[in-house]
Amino acid sequence: MELNSLGFLFFFVAFFILYWFGTGGRIKLQNILLLAGSYLFYAVWDWKCLFLLIASSAINYFLGIEIGKTENEKKRQVLVWFGVLYGILSLVYFKYTNFFITSFIDAFAFFEISLNIHTLKIILPLGISFYTFRTISYILDVDKGKIEPVTNWINFFAYVAFFPCIIAGPIDKARTFVPQLEKKREFDYSMSVNGLKQILWGLFKKVVVADNCAEITNHLFADYANLPSYLLLLGAFLYTVQLYTDFSGYSDMAIGIAKLLGINVTINFNYPFFVQNVAHYWRNWHMSLTSWLTEYVFTPLSIKFRDYDKWGIILASIINFVIVGAWHGANWTFVLFGFLHGCYFIPLILRGRMNKKIPKIEKLPNGKELRNMVATFLLIMFTNVVFRADSVSHAFSYLAGILTQHFVVNVADIEYLSLIKLSILLVIILVFFMLEWKGRAKECPLYVILQNRSRYLRWAFYYVLIVMIFLYVGEEQEFIYAQF
Amino acid sequence: MERSQVLEEVNEIFKDILDNDEINLTDTSTADDVEEWDSLTHIQLVVAVEKHFDIRFKSKEIQSWNNVGEMINSITEKIQ
Repeated sequence: MELNSLGFLFFFVAFFILYWFGTGGRIKLQNILLLAGSYLFYAVWDWKCLFLLIASSAINYFLGIEIGKTENEKKRQVLVWFGVLYGILSLVYFKYTNFFITSFIDAFAFFEISLNIHTLKIILPLGISFYTFRTISYILDVDKGKIEPVTNWINFFAYVAFFPCIIAGPIDKARTFVPQLEKKREFDYSMSVNGLKQILWGLFKKVVVADNCAEITNHLFADYANLPSYLLLLGAFLYTVQLYTDFSGYSDMAIGIAKLLGINVTINFNYPFFVQNVAHYWRNWHMSLTSWLTEYVFTPLSIKFRDYDKWGIILASIINFVIVGAWHGANWTFVLFGFLHGCYFIPLILRGRMNKKIPKIEKLPNGKELRNMVATFLLIMFTNVVFRADSVSHAFSYLAGILTQHFVVNVADIEYLSLIKLSILLVIILVFFMLEWKGRAKECPLYVILQNRSRYLRWAFYYVLIVMIFLYVGEEQEFIYAQF
Repeated sequence: MERSQVLEEVNEIFKDILDNDEINLTDTSTADDVEEWDSLTHIQLVVAVEKHFDIRFKSKEIQSWNNVGEMINSITEKIQ
């Protein structure tokens, strides 16, 4: 049941009516409904793994209470470590066991020793990377006193399983999410209108932009050996746009749906291509993951390595980004992707520019700002080839192809590329980024665009978006981040 | 050493490391109040403070500070 499917629409309409009109505004009933709805949503995807989700919630719920009660520092640390290790090990087991086994076999095969070990049949529980990060942050925050242990189990379980965000985030921290479940929620008209606008924008991003890019990039990445460098560059460009619109489109829908339920979910993307350097990019891309890692990995590591001055920060950055990469899945491509991003930070750290506040661009960027934006985009595009590739050798061949495959093909001879369709898509992408630029002051461009114009004009624009979603729908693609 | 004197010395360290003579710290100052104070310079500030007072903070202690006042508390606890 994807968020952009008809099945979800029926589920959500029924849920929405029950939530606001069937509960009489009682918080407890609303939270029970949130939990039941989240488990139903999860069970439709993957009922077997629901038990793991419940078990993880229960373990962390009791651990949180126990950590809150324990005054003996040593015992407390044992409990904290148990919670953190439980999360990490369950991620490692479900995501990486077979990766370790095959890497081990490959390493021995390199020395011409063949090992008779087989990979295991392990299914990847849906959303495990997202809900595990939620529970780990909760345990660490209880330990640091940033949140009181949650004693209402329904609220805690609903936080871990909250259905709009369970599959692909955003990764909310309990300290901002749970207090919202404890407060009375009343239907807020303007918040709901904003939610609907954000869902519409998210749907447009996913269905019109991302899925149509995917139709082309899937072919270009498979057929790369026969393509000239300019088409490989096109593939890298379109995939970068696709990854952004797919994932941020999902986040917009999740945030919009939560708004319809009166809940504010943390922002996940803040126009990440309108940035001046890679550090600036990461402050605006997948922000809930970045802020998680900054708080629980990068900061403690940089403090630990503080005697090594900037080199300590560089080491902390590289470790941090290798974890960011590996978090995405069990493939060396993700590790390499993270490592490269870590390396992008080296010049910024050495020149003291990692976290320099960057002045806002008022109307249009000047020459230097534009140059920085384009250069950053190219760096991101280059690493996204590694992110998209099936293997490291695929990534290298693709990138080498960009540099070496200087021949010309007649695009009309390539059966999966239609020049007209491609031109329409490029125009849509151009208009899309212009709209994003115009609306970049707010979380969603639709909060800004045409807001001071007549209602008719505004609605005409919304209808254009809706019609495009129906007419220009690309081949349906699973959300990229749902596999992580 | 008086608490106010610790604050004064920390203020000098901030001026020196952040290369800004206009810094005027109070107990409630945070990174939001000082332009040059970011996560990178924060680490340099911590190291400079440790060297100056010849003390060593615990990682958890550093992460628990919410403002300059809490940092001064940690320092005064250690030098007494």
